Amino acid sequence: MALRHLEFSYDGVPGASIPREWAHSGVVGSGDMEVLLFRREQQGKVKVKVCTPVVGFDHVWEKVLGKFVADSGCGDLDLEINDNNATPFIVSLRLRQALLEARGGES
Amino acid sequence: MDWKELQSASFLECTARRRALALVDEGTFTELAGPRDRMTSPHLPELGEAVSFDDGVVTGVGLVGERPVFVISQEGRFIGGAVGEVHGAKMAGVFKLALRAYDEACRRHPDEPERYRPAIVISFETGGVRLHEANAGLLAHAEIMDLMQDTKGKLPVVAVIGSKVGCFGGMGFVAAATDAVVMSPQGRLGLTGPEVIEQEMGKDEFDASDKSLISRTTGGKHKYIMQDCNVLCDDRVSAFRDALCALLAMPYEELVKYRRIGSYALVKEQMGLTALAAALNPFDAKDVWQYFGNGEADALPELGTEEFLAVARRREREV
Repeated sequence: MALRHLEFSYDGVPGASIPREWAHSGVVGSGDMEVLLFRREQQGKVKVKVCTPVVGFDHVWEKVLGKFVADSGCGDLDLEINDNNATPFIVSLRLRQALLEARGGES
Repeated sequence: MDWKELQSASFLECTARRRALALVDEGTFTELAGPRDRMTSPHLPELGEAVSFDDGVVTGVGLVGERPVFVISQEGRFIGGAVGEVHGAKMAGVFKLALRAYDEACRRHPDEPERYRPAIVISFETGGVRLHEANAGLLAHAEIMDLMQDTKGKLPVVAVIGSKVGCFGGMGFVAAATDAVVMSPQGRLGLTGPEVIEQEMGKDEFDASDKSLISRTTGGKHKYIMQDCNVLCDDRVSAFRDALCALLAMPYEELVKYRRIGSYALVKEQMGLTALAAALNPFDAKDVWQYFGNGEADALPELGTEEFLAVARRREREV
């Protein structure tokens, strides 16, 4: 019943973080999610915390997040996600949007 | 999207954060208790419900000219914008800050109260109390109503309503208690929401799947004719902002004449409307429009905002 907290860590690209100290993107609508991004110097690592009501999809999260880190070439980041039943496609889309917004300056 | 691009965007489609940013002057908005502070609901996790870092409301302060404008902007996509404990506390916090800013403005600029008088603007998008944490949500409503009374005679509170969910439930009362209400035709304002009326009274009483019925009964045009809405504007961010700026440019003593409740005379006027409703026994909002002089009532829902404002006859205010 209670919300689940998942944690993942990936090897990203050192220095490929975001310009500002932190950024936020997204709305926790139904089937949607939000993410907080923090710049962290940690040998390129990308650490992700996920808070979700969904049970039994931990391995899907691990794959989707891993693919995002690999495809986007990001690194030195902490991500915190509040999820509300977003599909893997939506998760990938929102993460790419969030990174783009965080790098483009204006929200 | 930056501030300038946002001005031409549809208000209806804007997130709460974008509305907050765009209602005040360019580059002046500072969010307080924002997502980075991670003030999430303590109740939702117990129920296995998703949480949000801002608990569904954006709070902060910006400027309109030299005037500090305190902003509350509700996010309908998160649990229908419903007010829980944290959400409500953030709203109450904004009122308290604004009241302190008023005291400060009086101290620093005793000769120019109009120029530096702070204001509160609330962009409503809510169904009222969040049922998952209903006691806390109800208490928050009570606290906000209390604080609203503390603002009287000090600083203006303006409601802007033009978002998807509309403004219903307890927050309908809060919107009614503000000093001025700005709506777009797409905005909706009421107490019991359409779905709840249908659920409690049946489809014969109110068909919640009938979009035009909902619009005729709770929409901006109807509220404008009835004088529950003071300013009707297009569904554009800049239109809402222009309306807000125009209201804030009015002397405070003039602006408060827009109030619909809050004095014995106004209560008498509202009671007169209740008597009229019983006497008229209207079947549809159109009957009421006709009563107030709109012969072509059928045409009103189809008109653009500008045309509507040109031809619509409103109820005459007594106070």
